[in-house]
Amino acid sequence: MSHSAVKSFALTSLLALATSLSAQEQKPQIIEGLQNPPPVRFPDDLPPGPMRGKATTSCQECHEARIILQQRLSKAAWTKEVDKMIKWGAVVDASDHDALIDYLSTNFSPDQPRYEPPRTSSEKASGKNSEKKTAK
Amino acid sequence: MNSRRNFLKQMSGAALAVGAAPSFLSSAFAGQSRSIDIPGEDDMIVRSFRFVDLETPVEYFNTWLTPVPHFFVRNHMHEPSELDPGTWQLTVGGEVEKPFTLNLSELSKLEVHSVVNTLECAGNGRSMHRPQVPGIQWGKGAVSTARFSGPRLRDVLQRAAVKPAGKHVMFRGLDEVPGKVPPFIRSIPIEKALDADTLVATHMNGTPLTKHHGFPARALVPGWIGAASCKWLTDIKVLDSEFVGNFMSPGYRFPNQPGKPGEVVKPEDTHPLTALSVKSVISGPLDGATLRSGKVSVHGAAWAGEADIVKVEISTDGGTSWKAAALGHEQSHYAWRLWSYDWKARSGDYTILSRATDSQGRTQPSTPVWNPSGYLYNAADQVKIHVA
Repeated sequence: MSHSAVKSFALTSLLALATSLSAQEQKPQIIEGLQNPPPVRFPDDLPPGPMRGKATTSCQECHEARIILQQRLSKAAWTKEVDKMIKWGAVVDASDHDALIDYLSTNFSPDQPRYEPPRTSSEKASGKNSEKKTAK
Repeated sequence: MNSRRNFLKQMSGAALAVGAAPSFLSSAFAGQSRSIDIPGEDDMIVRSFRFVDLETPVEYFNTWLTPVPHFFVRNHMHEPSELDPGTWQLTVGGEVEKPFTLNLSELSKLEVHSVVNTLECAGNGRSMHRPQVPGIQWGKGAVSTARFSGPRLRDVLQRAAVKPAGKHVMFRGLDEVPGKVPPFIRSIPIEKALDADTLVATHMNGTPLTKHHGFPARALVPGWIGAASCKWLTDIKVLDSEFVGNFMSPGYRFPNQPGKPGEVVKPEDTHPLTALSVKSVISGPLDGATLRSGKVSVHGAAWAGEADIVKVEISTDGGTSWKAAALGHEQSHYAWRLWSYDWKARSGDYTILSRATDSQGRTQPSTPVWNPSGYLYNAADQVKIHVA
């Protein structure tokens, strides 16, 4: 960020602070970066790491990797999820428990770019593409 | 983060060379579209294909009734591996005088009633909550509208003669439960079960339910969260109290007093989810679109569970001023209203907002009501666009 941009950002922030609380409540919160810029495309499989094989065996017995790839959670939240899944039948050796949580919370933390899912095949692919071109 | 990017670079050749990767995987690396074939499902966003969870892209919110191939799919478990209409049976029991079992042919002889209903997953919009919460990361499209038809649940229950002790009605379907996952069983209060619009639906938009939507029969609890409308229905049991199980508690509950984002909520301070909230979604222009200046139709859909939509307002200046949108003429009590607003767009960057108000006086909040499971997201919708 350039100096002028920082200044401008600071000024904007001050102005925002100066705005009355009631006005803030009435005005919708503009969510930055939620839809834009476009998310990074990830592969549809678990990323490499010492726990990749064990995560595959433990988790994908019941569901596909995509269920994991789309999550963006803190370590505390991942711990809760892993423990819930163990209760629900996921087989995780006690000695792998902490490493599995580290693997998941490192690769799928809240600061990672959003996962972009694929679509099912379109029955009218040509129509779909032309619509998208017009929209973008 | 960097390691993932490096991985992508390193693997871009390797994955293609291996050749064992599924077709959609290799095409993803090549930067091409990576569509997945799921018969009967057209251009749907794949949140998961095992188990199947498919989201309707918002651009398909352009017809009052959603065609079945574009109707969102939510499964908690695996779909039944075998569904034989010849041997399928519906058992009605519990707190009733005359328990009985129906086959499909007997069910089809009961009087048919139709309800146009907007079905929405309680977790629709979950991905937009901050901090993020676990669960299927639905965008805006875990919602669709169809004309559901089938016998009234009330007629089925009356034939069984509910005892005075019967206060709740439990549904169970043929979902296949993996591991030690608790089965997907939920219940609704008897009043809702006896409502004239609550169905044992066998048809959707005039055709038999497809497998993804609960063939041969599903509960249809209009205006309520999708999870109430159990698919592949085989058991209806009248209970003297709410069903006790994971999908009633801790699942599908909402804080009595929503707190600050990220705050822990005690189970005793929650209640079961029932009817949907008031909500609108902009289906066009699409987020990120670049448009020519001039007349632009801002359009979308708005719904309110058991209430009616009375107003949809649009802001093209980030929420400073609001103008009324025109509501579509097609309407039915539990169905969404399509809406549109003609906007004379000049060059610039815009955040367009929509907010709906319903017959109960509820208006979409300006900020999301955060809750630990990310249910009922209904903040005013927004898209960012560029007008050239």
